[in-house]
Amino acid sequence: MKILIVEDEEELAKDISNYLSGESYLCEIASTYQQGQEKIALYNYDCILLDLMLPNGADGLNLLENLDHQNNQQGVIIISAKNSLEDKIKGLKIGADDYLAKPFHLAELSARIYSVIRRKQFDHTNLLEHNELTVDLLAKTVKVSGTILMLTKKEYDLLLLFLGNKNKVISKNALAEHLSGDIADMFENQDFVYAHIKNLKRKLTDAGCKPYLKTIYGTGYKWEM
Amino acid sequence: MGNVSKLLNKPLKAFTLYALIILVCSIPVYFLVVDFIWQQELDEHNQIVKERIVENFKLIKTSDEELGKTLVLWNILQPGTKLIKVDENVIKKDSVYTITKASNYTNDAQKDRFRVLESYLKINKKNYFLSVETNVEEADETLLAIAIVTFIFFSLLVVGFVLLNKRISKKIWLPFQNTLEKLKNFDLSTHKSIEFIKTDIEEFEQLNQELSKLILKNISVFDQQKVFLENASHELQTPLAVLKSKIDSLLQSKNLSSDQLDLINQINVPLARASRINKNLLLLSKIENHQFEDKEVINFESVLTDSLTLLEDYIIDKQLSISQSFENNDQLLTNKVLIEVLVNNLLINSIKHTENGGKIVIELKNGILIVKNSGITPLNHEGMFNRFLINSNEPSNSGLGLAIVKEIANRYHWKIAYDFKNQMHQFSVVF
Repeated sequence: MKILIVEDEEELAKDISNYLSGESYLCEIASTYQQGQEKIALYNYDCILLDLMLPNGADGLNLLENLDHQNNQQGVIIISAKNSLEDKIKGLKIGADDYLAKPFHLAELSARIYSVIRRKQFDHTNLLEHNELTVDLLAKTVKVSGTILMLTKKEYDLLLLFLGNKNKVISKNALAEHLSGDIADMFENQDFVYAHIKNLKRKLTDAGCKPYLKTIYGTGYKWEM
Repeated sequence: MGNVSKLLNKPLKAFTLYALIILVCSIPVYFLVVDFIWQQELDEHNQIVKERIVENFKLIKTSDEELGKTLVLWNILQPGTKLIKVDENVIKKDSVYTITKASNYTNDAQKDRFRVLESYLKINKKNYFLSVETNVEEADETLLAIAIVTFIFFSLLVVGFVLLNKRISKKIWLPFQNTLEKLKNFDLSTHKSIEFIKTDIEEFEQLNQELSKLILKNISVFDQQKVFLENASHELQTPLAVLKSKIDSLLQSKNLSSDQLDLINQINVPLARASRINKNLLLLSKIENHQFEDKEVINFESVLTDSLTLLEDYIIDKQLSISQSFENNDQLLTNKVLIEVLVNNLLINSIKHTENGGKIVIELKNGILIVKNSGITPLNHEGMFNRFLINSNEPSNSGLGLAIVKEIANRYHWKIAYDFKNQMHQFSVVF
């Protein structure tokens, strides 16, 4: 799947690209408004990551307005340092699928891309299947070998984050932010994450799921598949 | 205000004191002057009496014998004068003096003052001694009268000063009072300059003009500072984002040793703090710059409920007991994001600063929100709502949470307060 990263901060674009490349994504980088425009005109992408503040005062929102609205296969995620509600509302109104404020964790971005692409391209049969694990994104249900697994909302959210970041180490911090959003930033102690992970792990193994979820020493967790 | 007194009262005090000194000094001066004039007059009078006696004796030409009889009678009937025959050789020059003696005619023991003229005359070629006494007002009586009059005038002066002072201060200081009132109500953060009322008093007009200039300059500096703050925190977002993504990327490296993983964790802590502070600064500058519109009707209760749900994990993690009582259905036209931030910050603050297993009480009554949490000692609440006042060296503190609460409260003219009662820290917002 192809991803276009419209971002003028080279280092950030590179990191995103490297991170995503491991997950069967093919990334291209556009560091100016011009480049972005050209690439969008020439190719089709599964998802476009769009920075709003581009060099020379160019506004990424204009790029979004010029997108071919007929081709709604392309998902768009705005990544902005502005974190303003107005921009968010405006962006979502003119066709963005999601909005992520900088600074963000790569795991969070990856999960958002994952979910945007599912939503855009698999409208009706939105089933994720991973060996014995089946997730119905619309019904928000999880099955292990055909048996429904009762998960809390937070456990379900964590599972989706892991599925969107297979074989990646996700820090405790990224998990906490995924669950609590901006509020997570305000607390030093994110130990509550352990409790949810522990429950999720227990429910998965009890239902006969293989131990995909690994603890990485002192740092976080990894879904190995 | 301690030792502060009104400007016009200062000269009033000085004037009054000056008038008192002058008037007190004038008392002996008046007395001396009056006494001097008095004595001059009496001396003249005694002289006239003497001359009349001499003239009269010249007119009535009597014999020595008759004269002797008349003088006996004279000295009895004519009080205050004495005419005695003397020898040739005792003739002296005229003398004038004052004596004080008991009066012959009044019964009381009071002493009277007399002005005396002693002179030697020749009547029928014989020498006579003449003494003329005239009663002079006593010194103490004169002094007392002068003092009384002086103090009456002094009182009149003081009353006059006070009344005039009041009138002047009311009239002349009016423009100054206006200016002062406007300055008191001035709020830098509202961006509004002050329009001073024109006055025809030069000093005040100058003052107003200089104040206007100063205020305009302040507003512009304040604006620049706000823009700077917003730009600076915007600029910081990008390097913070890069740092965060770098660490996430680093985590993906194979074969990281546990030491390296520890280091990554240790980097994450200050990084999280930096991004937290920056987010809060950005939010603060946005509130200051009025980038939030009030367009939603908000129910406090639902915001509180939502916030508690959001914070559930942290509450459970610290095993805090929450008790809440909501008796309020006020609908406020505000900005939802701001109210959420206010409520979140108050709750986050109390969750963070409550010991594990502690208690949080949330009360919502009509027009007031109170968040209490258990604690041991009261906080130093001086400057508590200021930016970056960090009581402890707790790294989780951004020093901005309460500053943001204050900024939002200010915006809506709500009152926030801190109190410590029954081992509970208590934050209240009166809206």
